[in-house]
Amino acid sequence: MIKREKELALDEIDLKDQRFRISLFFSIKNLLSSVKKVGLIYPPLLTIREGRIVLVSGWKRVEACRLLGISSIPGYFISDNDDLKVFHLAFFENLATRDFNVLEKAEILKKLISFGEKEKRIISEYLPLLGLPPTSTYLNLYLAFSEFEIEEKELIHQNEIPFSSLEILAKLKREERELIFPLLLPLGKNKQKELLECALDLAGKKGISIKSIFHQQEIREILESRNISALEKSQKIRLLLRREKYPLLSSWSESLKLILKKTRWPKDIILRPSPFFEEEKMSIFFDFKNEQEFVEKVSKLVELTSKKEFKGIWRPFFDEGKK
Amino acid sequence: MRERNDLIKKIYILKECLNFPLTQRILDNAGKIPWEIIENKHELGEEIRTSEDPLKEGKKILLLARQKGKFVKSCPCTPNYIRCNYSIINLALNCPLDCSYCILQGYLKDPFLIIHVNLEDLWKELDVYLEKRKHIKVRIGTGELADSLALDLICECSKELITYFRKKKNAILEFKTKTLNISHLLSLEPSSNIVFSWSLNSEKVAAEEEKGAPSIRERLEVASRISEIGFPVGFHFDPLIHYPGWEEDYERVVRALFERIDPSRIAWISLGCLRFPPRLKEIIHRRFPSTKIIYEEFIPGLDNKMRYFRLLRLRIYRKIVQLIRNLGGRKIPLYFCMENESIWKEIFNWVPKGEEIEMFLSSPPSFS
Repeated sequence: MIKREKELALDEIDLKDQRFRISLFFSIKNLLSSVKKVGLIYPPLLTIREGRIVLVSGWKRVEACRLLGISSIPGYFISDNDDLKVFHLAFFENLATRDFNVLEKAEILKKLISFGEKEKRIISEYLPLLGLPPTSTYLNLYLAFSEFEIEEKELIHQNEIPFSSLEILAKLKREERELIFPLLLPLGKNKQKELLECALDLAGKKGISIKSIFHQQEIREILESRNISALEKSQKIRLLLRREKYPLLSSWSESLKLILKKTRWPKDIILRPSPFFEEEKMSIFFDFKNEQEFVEKVSKLVELTSKKEFKGIWRPFFDEGKK
Repeated sequence: MRERNDLIKKIYILKECLNFPLTQRILDNAGKIPWEIIENKHELGEEIRTSEDPLKEGKKILLLARQKGKFVKSCPCTPNYIRCNYSIINLALNCPLDCSYCILQGYLKDPFLIIHVNLEDLWKELDVYLEKRKHIKVRIGTGELADSLALDLICECSKELITYFRKKKNAILEFKTKTLNISHLLSLEPSSNIVFSWSLNSEKVAAEEEKGAPSIRERLEVASRISEIGFPVGFHFDPLIHYPGWEEDYERVVRALFERIDPSRIAWISLGCLRFPPRLKEIIHRRFPSTKIIYEEFIPGLDNKMRYFRLLRLRIYRKIVQLIRNLGGRKIPLYFCMENESIWKEIFNWVPKGEEIEMFLSSPPSFS
């Protein structure tokens, strides 16, 4: 593998040939300032394929030069016809200097396969280099990520969709992802995951597709509604799916709310059951500034105990089937 | 009804383990199973890891290794739930059966089956362990990280364990299994402190979720044979699984149990609803795509394991306890595996404290 430096015109590079490209999305704000101030310090790696100049690594640098109107740059030319060997240069050059994100790891693995690297070798040698467990499961999962459409990858990148949600998305068909993506984007990470899990679990339980879940009357009405925002749609659908996935928990939560309403529970005293009602114990929170306020709130609580609805607070903890 | 010794495709022996008597016995019993000596276990790990389903491949490989840590440990149980005070002997690790819900899929570091062959160290360790606990009853078993009898046709460790424990009257040894591998044990003199126990489930769960395991009818048949020669027997309804029709299906199993087994010979029955660490869900989904057991109403428990919502557990336990009590097991000691105080209180009106559970489980009629 011969490497030699040569000056070349920027427009001589065939940027459409992206066979060695690892990063699909990047920010070059800092790089722009750097090139503007001190010029290009590290020339990109290039190679020749079918008479064309192909970029091996240095996509950000080339893009920065292009935006700054620089017409010619130095480049290192690699003389090797073996794509796998050339890709190694791009991979190891990047590996030495930075961490890869999920989509980049997926792209690297997909390219290694396409350049003919053996699967067993990818699992045992490359996955650990990428910080992944050396199993076929992880290889297959990341290859599934690499199959996402470019628009989906962009959404994932922009919205920093967490890995746990990506794992679920990888199980879906393209048309299912198309349906679900707009609902995920307005939500926070935990709620994104919850919506995905609920949809997937309900589909699994009923033995139907995710698409069928979203074709249910109630969900369709929300999706088609023109009077509510994207966030409201996502929230409503998430809550609907959650209620369906957790029927008992939802009914207990609602029953407790109803009891509190009946007892006219004071709004400035918070009653919190144990998470998911797993334990009988509950907690009470209230603020007070002085002894008088403290006594007032405690008195309110004592007063509540005399109401007949009060005992109902513990009802959710007992099996209604008990005889 | 068939005993199975055909699940292992190859035996690997760590070089340092070649001269142990148990290694020699296993090789004598192995018949035509090929074997190979290796320097370290990493040599075989890579081949399995890179396969499509490492857990499935690992179940066909038996490694003979040396137990370098402790053979005997207290059951780690699960944080924030009632402890069982059980002691475990880690003689073998992993299981050739392939149950969809098995926690070992996500628990064990290595995917292959392991038998620790340095039994000489086990006896010494047990002597010390039991001596330290001579004033209390010790319940101990080999079926925590393995099926107690799944590899017994090849290693025959149970015979030696029985010989050892027969004399240890402060201990109750339990062999927990789903297999039918008992023919080599039928000629043994029974002992009241040796319990053979079987995991039970509905026939539907056994057929759909317990790949490689015998039917419930078969398990009860061998349990009845062991019981008839005089060993106490135990049963574990664990994991109890909720699905449409569960009540009728479990009723059939409880009926079958008492049709075949004399209740007075039953040392205990344990109950536990399906539970799993969150990461296991993904493994189950990937390895058993057609299973529906992971889609019920699970919530994160106090130990962060996924459990059925409390009310669902109460309904299941209430029903199974009612079935056992009404269909023949009125006096059989029942206990929960990994349940919380309020469930114990609600179902049994009792919460065991300290060593009460040992007292309770070591004093049923079958031990008198």
